Amino acid sequence: MRRRAFLQAAAVTPAVFAATEAREPLPKYRIVSRYQPSTPPGMPGIFPGIVARVHAESAIDVNTEKVDVATVREMMARGMRSLTGDADTRDSWARFFVPQDVVGIKLNCSGAPGTASTPEVIAEIVRNLGTVGVKPEQIWLYERFQNQVDTMHYDRYVPAGVHIWTAEHDRGSIQSYDPKTYVEVNFFGEEDTRSNVSRPVSEQFTKIINVPNMKDHGAAGVTGCLKNIAYGSFSNVARSHSGPKSNTYSFIGTLATVEPVRSRTVLNIMDGLRGVWHGGPFSPSRKFRFYPKQMMIGSDPVAIDRLLIDVIDDKRKVEHAISVWDRSMDNVKAGQGYDDNPSINRFIREPGHIEYASQLGLGVYDINKIQIRKTEL
Amino acid sequence: MLALLAAVALPALYWDQGPATAAAVKQAGIERLYVPASEMAAWRDAGFDAQAFDAARFVKLPVPGVRYQMDVASATTVPWIDANGWRFQRKGGGSYFYDAPAGKAMLAAAEAYANGVEAVIHVDAKDLAGFARMLTFLRSIGGETLPALANFGFIDNGSAQTGEVMNLLARRNLLFEVVRKPDPKYEMNVEIPADAKITNPSDFSARVRQDLTDEKRLLRIFGSDVVLARLNGDNTRVRVHLINYSDRKVEGLRVRVRGVYSRGTLAAFGQEKAALEDFSAADGATEFTVPSIDVYAAMDLRK
Repeated sequence: MRRRAFLQAAAVTPAVFAATEAREPLPKYRIVSRYQPSTPPGMPGIFPGIVARVHAESAIDVNTEKVDVATVREMMARGMRSLTGDADTRDSWARFFVPQDVVGIKLNCSGAPGTASTPEVIAEIVRNLGTVGVKPEQIWLYERFQNQVDTMHYDRYVPAGVHIWTAEHDRGSIQSYDPKTYVEVNFFGEEDTRSNVSRPVSEQFTKIINVPNMKDHGAAGVTGCLKNIAYGSFSNVARSHSGPKSNTYSFIGTLATVEPVRSRTVLNIMDGLRGVWHGGPFSPSRKFRFYPKQMMIGSDPVAIDRLLIDVIDDKRKVEHAISVWDRSMDNVKAGQGYDDNPSINRFIREPGHIEYASQLGLGVYDINKIQIRKTEL
Repeated sequence: MLALLAAVALPALYWDQGPATAAAVKQAGIERLYVPASEMAAWRDAGFDAQAFDAARFVKLPVPGVRYQMDVASATTVPWIDANGWRFQRKGGGSYFYDAPAGKAMLAAAEAYANGVEAVIHVDAKDLAGFARMLTFLRSIGGETLPALANFGFIDNGSAQTGEVMNLLARRNLLFEVVRKPDPKYEMNVEIPADAKITNPSDFSARVRQDLTDEKRLLRIFGSDVVLARLNGDNTRVRVHLINYSDRKVEGLRVRVRGVYSRGTLAAFGQEKAALEDFSAADGATEFTVPSIDVYAAMDLRK
């Protein structure tokens, strides 16, 4: 394998976005939480603006979708060392976790089983946590919907004792959400105006590892670190979309700022072995699936997601699809074949949610200020 | 839960399966019932307090329940609730009749009880035991006739349009009292002029909610869009009635009641030893979680 690692300040022309475009007033959010920010602070964490990006051609076979475990292990090890600057992978992990931690690993299963947090990636994360003394019983794989997680069979990949937990065995049940930690907002006159955080997030975890995929998203533009930790840790979020409008622009970042989500999400490992360039977050067939064969690792979810925009939009350009930045109502055609046609939008997409999150202090958005540490295996 | 004094009327059974089923009715624990006039004597001979059912004495109600329909705009299923609470408020008394198909008798009983109205329910043979269990449950929790509580007055002109608005207000758990003219005890009174044409009653009810503001609402429900609530009380206590109009249990319901109450108890149909969870009182409101609700649950809160 060729191995090179170098620092690179990306010289990518930023996507054009009508920054002067007038926006409707943002919804009024009320955040209710009794949790205080941690020291050191949460997102963007201890490595603001830094992204370790690892690519390996042998990570996954694009024909069979078989994952090469040894390559995944090497990718994660090199990525973590690149991020932290340590010579020993174990030391990299020890910067984030101590043996007493109870660690939640936020899966992404909305595209399961086609595209989801890869079991081999999750297994490698669990293994690394073990090297720094975090026992299986202190590790929780978590997601919202049971029926999605069931299709991934993570239990076959992780040691006995690791918890696999979902908030909703029956969709819509709020029983597993913390009634005292929530965001209250009225988007479209819905009766239930609260989105509550999953109970283990507030009541059990001391740290969270966020494992999103590389996907486009019909409402948010792209779905990466921010959307996975925000919409994936709270209840009652689907209400943010209605008609062509989506409130993902401000809701995603707002949710991500809620303590203790913000402070406990210390590490993001974006699993880009597979990706979805249209129709995301779902991935019912391979039609819109692609294989970036990379991971992006960092404590800063904004910086990672900023790079994700280019991954997805560059792919869409190659496929002659409209940009994730396209806001023309001429292209918004709900119910007219969005699932099969990448020139149709279902909502007005909001990739600007990432820049908005940076304005909330969650990370670095300016592409010229993001430090990419690139590794090619 | 303590049984309270003057009891709210319990729903009555209308049973037309014939005196040959007397043993089954007795086993169900029912002693008082309505029957076809031709069978009254036979039922009395069997030891029952039987009355002849006269449909003309009662207002027949639509069957309560939920219908689901796709909402294309948001790609979710929107439940439409058929509920009669607003009808009880419009009429302000009276006697009612439900012709309940299989699976609906318990819901009908709960709805009538929660709204404090006299009702007779024609029960499907399959539902006799369930209906009897509901009566036993309602009897056990008692129900002093505390006054219904409301956020605003609503002037009902008797029109179909106004009825539809009342239905939608009740659907949103916006608690109102039907009044003849603006009542000064309410900060807000709602009236639809007789010559007004409301093109979108749903939007109108949304506007009422907006004008009232969520903070001032006496009661709010989080976690379900198929549970309707009623609230009765006085200066020191309230009873919250929750009616689940769907045919599935609702797991985890958060309730917010305006006012600071120090303690609360829960009686949930079909559950022994049900208890409120995550009870908290702060900032002028009391909140708690009802872990599970089948058809009906009642909470009693005290200051």
